[in-house]
Amino acid sequence: MKVFVKFDFNAVCAKILSEKLDELDVKYKILGFGEVEFLEKLSSQKYDTFVQSLDNYHIEIVENQKSILVQKIKDTIVDMVFNEDANINVKTSAYLADALGHSYGYLSNLFSEVTYTSIENFIILQKIEYTKQLIIEGNLSLTEIAFKLNYSSVAHLSTQFKNTTGITPSAFQRIIAKRRAIQKK
Amino acid sequence: MPLRTLYRASWFVKASFIICFFVIFFVAGVTYKNMSDLSESSELVEHRYEIGIQLEMAMSYLKDAETGQRGFIITKDSVYLDPYFSGRENINNSLAALKQLLQDNPTQKKSLRELTELIDERLANFQEAQRFLVQKNNDIESPKFIPIFSKGKVLMDEIRQKIKEMTDLESLQLHEKQKEYKNNLKLTPIFLYIIILLTLVIMVIAYRKIMNDVRMFKIKNEQLELFRESANLSEIISKHGRWKWDIEDDSFEFSDNLYRLLGEEPHSFPPTVENFLKYVHPDDVEKVAEQVTQMREEKDLPFIFYRVVHKNGNIRHLKAYGRTVTNKWGKQNLLGTTTDITDEIANFKALEERNIELERNNRELSAFNHVASHDLQEPLRKIQTFLSRLEEKEEENLSATGVKYMSRIKNAATRMRLLIDDLLQFSRTNKADKIFEISDINVLFEEAMEDLAEKIHEKEATIHADSFPKMYVIPFQIQQLFINLVGNSLKYKAEDRAPKITINYEKVSAEGESLLSKTSHENYHKITYKDNGIGFDNEFAEKIFILFHRLHNRNEYSGTGIGLSICKKIVQNHRGYIFASGEEGVGATFTIYLPIT
Amino acid sequence: MNQDYINIALADDDEDDRLFFTDAFDELKIQTRVTTYNDGVYLMDYLNSEDALLPNVLFLDLNMPRKTGMECLKEIKANPKFNDIAIAIYSTSASEEDIENTFIQGANIYIKKPDSFKKLKKALAEVVTINWQYHTSGLNKDNFLLRL
Repeated sequence: MKVFVKFDFNAVCAKILSEKLDELDVKYKILGFGEVEFLEKLSSQKYDTFVQSLDNYHIEIVENQKSILVQKIKDTIVDMVFNEDANINVKTSAYLADALGHSYGYLSNLFSEVTYTSIENFIILQKIEYTKQLIIEGNLSLTEIAFKLNYSSVAHLSTQFKNTTGITPSAFQRIIAKRRAIQKK
Repeated sequence: MPLRTLYRASWFVKASFIICFFVIFFVAGVTYKNMSDLSESSELVEHRYEIGIQLEMAMSYLKDAETGQRGFIITKDSVYLDPYFSGRENINNSLAALKQLLQDNPTQKKSLRELTELIDERLANFQEAQRFLVQKNNDIESPKFIPIFSKGKVLMDEIRQKIKEMTDLESLQLHEKQKEYKNNLKLTPIFLYIIILLTLVIMVIAYRKIMNDVRMFKIKNEQLELFRESANLSEIISKHGRWKWDIEDDSFEFSDNLYRLLGEEPHSFPPTVENFLKYVHPDDVEKVAEQVTQMREEKDLPFIFYRVVHKNGNIRHLKAYGRTVTNKWGKQNLLGTTTDITDEIANFKALEERNIELERNNRELSAFNHVASHDLQEPLRKIQTFLSRLEEKEEENLSATGVKYMSRIKNAATRMRLLIDDLLQFSRTNKADKIFEISDINVLFEEAMEDLAEKIHEKEATIHADSFPKMYVIPFQIQQLFINLVGNSLKYKAEDRAPKITINYEKVSAEGESLLSKTSHENYHKITYKDNGIGFDNEFAEKIFILFHRLHNRNEYSGTGIGLSICKKIVQNHRGYIFASGEEGVGATFTIYLPIT
Repeated sequence: MNQDYINIALADDDEDDRLFFTDAFDELKIQTRVTTYNDGVYLMDYLNSEDALLPNVLFLDLNMPRKTGMECLKEIKANPKFNDIAIAIYSTSASEEDIENTFIQGANIYIKKPDSFKKLKKALAEVVTINWQYHTSGLNKDNFLLRL
């Protein structure tokens, strides 16, 4: 038997965060976009325990202001790509600038500086990742996926998929299917 | 026709005889019945006759008595009274006999009773008359006597009348009975005659059928004899031998050629397992003996392979197979065939050796492939990488000539890479392990287009393809075929227009295609591929597929001349055909035929 | 991830290729620590040692004496301890079957060794950044397939 699991990273992370914060026994508030506000002063010992417990989940505390902003950009983009209603007819740059209260140029430079990649590439990557997920789920044809992700044509999606991953969507589907068949054995 | 089938039926003779049997049985029954009727009839006549006699006799005795009495009256001589006395006794006897004779007939019985009463009365009358005569001294003139006498006459008339009645009734009954018998007897002979005739007919047909069957048996026997002879001959030709093992009797029959297979004259030794095993190769005896034991138990023989040694020392390889056959009566025979496969084994060995050699060649070829793909590529790649490093770091230290030379080296290396890559692809399409699958050609085409998506987009090409049916192909190669064709069209596109490609599909029969002759299959998938590129002169239509053959200068177009060779190779791998035709400046057409299997 | 550099490992029996590889990373502006192994056996010995520092990305040459890249790949994929390592096949040959087969066996990346140093640097940079994205942006690593 095989099942496909679909999950919301933000929800999962928020759940983990609140669990770990509860263990600390301090007052806090989760602000969304990976931001947590402590409502009382934290002892350094408790802070270390907190950092340690999150490390198990590969969640790290972003200490510097630039990183925080980059994280916010990423979260906004992920939300935009995976949330079907958000990405219709709105220009990404305008959307980002609007959501984060900085000019797009500033955000773009900052993003490249911290992540070694551009916002545009990151969006493509996220879209392709979403495409992969949809291909594996198998409910939609490639044409439907292209439409859902606002591509002008299947060919456009295919080309971008191949440019990003080096393989065609069909090859991707085939490889994953065969890989699962092997793992089942 | 149904009559014919009836006649041919195997049960026909049996049924005929059963019918005849029943007919004869029936006839005997009818005859018996008639005979008994006849004797009954004559008995009846006799019976009636006796009744008549007895009645006559009774009458006559009565008359005798009357005459006696009258004689006595006239003569007064008592001698005349003798018949009168004896008459009484005789009448009683007759009446007793009549009673016996008439006991089955109630009417007559009743008449007899009345007759007896009348006679008794008459006799009483006699007696009265006699007494009167004795008492009155024979005074016949006495007025008293006359009424007595006349009463005697009346009674006598009545008796006569009664007897006549009885005789008449008896005659009537006899007559009726006889009429009935006569009726019966009149039909019986015709009926019997017809039935016997019919029986004769059936018997004649049955006889004919028997004779016919016997004739057929003879013919079949002859054919069987011929067949046996030809079987013997074919056994010799095909090196077969037959044997039969009667499992219950544990007796064997060997065909002539089985002896020959053992290197002996036919029937030169009694057919037994022991004698047979003498010829089996010492190493195989145990195996064969075990198999024989198994046959006894399981009564079925799988293929068994063993060797026999002829007297002259020749070793032959034999293969045997057997199966139990049970006939209608439940008798089981194990029938077996033994074949001499020495030559086959020799051929097989030769083939095997050739196969091994072929495999070795193939391995060498694939080793060569590997050398080409890996070992040859690696140094080239390093040359190129070191060149790029040299260019990056040391270019400024070189003279203008040095820079020029380096650029030439780079070009040569790039070209060599292209050649090696294409050559590799060509040799891969040559690889031995081709796996045919029933594939959706539309999917393969889509994947090929996905692969070329960027180039298609870049050159703004429009591609129209018909829908294809499923085909039995090597999927990877067909995809490669599409990639190479479309890639070719994109590469040799006309300067002034965007590439336009149409691919048409059609199912055709080989006969209707002028391009095809001497084909191995009847029906083909016909794929017509057409572009609007630079085209070519039809003069080169065949050369275009030759390995490394290029129609254009290297500086104009960057091909290696392998792409279309690969296409041809792929089509050939599918036992199909590819043809090219073109017009310079207008476009090229490739027609591909893939067999429908 | 409490480390400020990316750990890279390469198993390749060819000395020149190892040299190109380390040179390329030296010239890239990404903070990396590159370790090379002369063949598959050396690599696996190290990975299986107790205090091994596991690489973030492991580059495997396919054609190596003693233990091939494919054998290493299968061993690594069979051991849950190495689940976090992204595996890149780094090979001269690029037959479609080879590529698909390594992906099916669990490789994430397939790089055909480029024929110029510039392309090499570009390819390696792309691998590292994309891998970095997978690490930092919560992408599903099971779907990580990249061919260069």
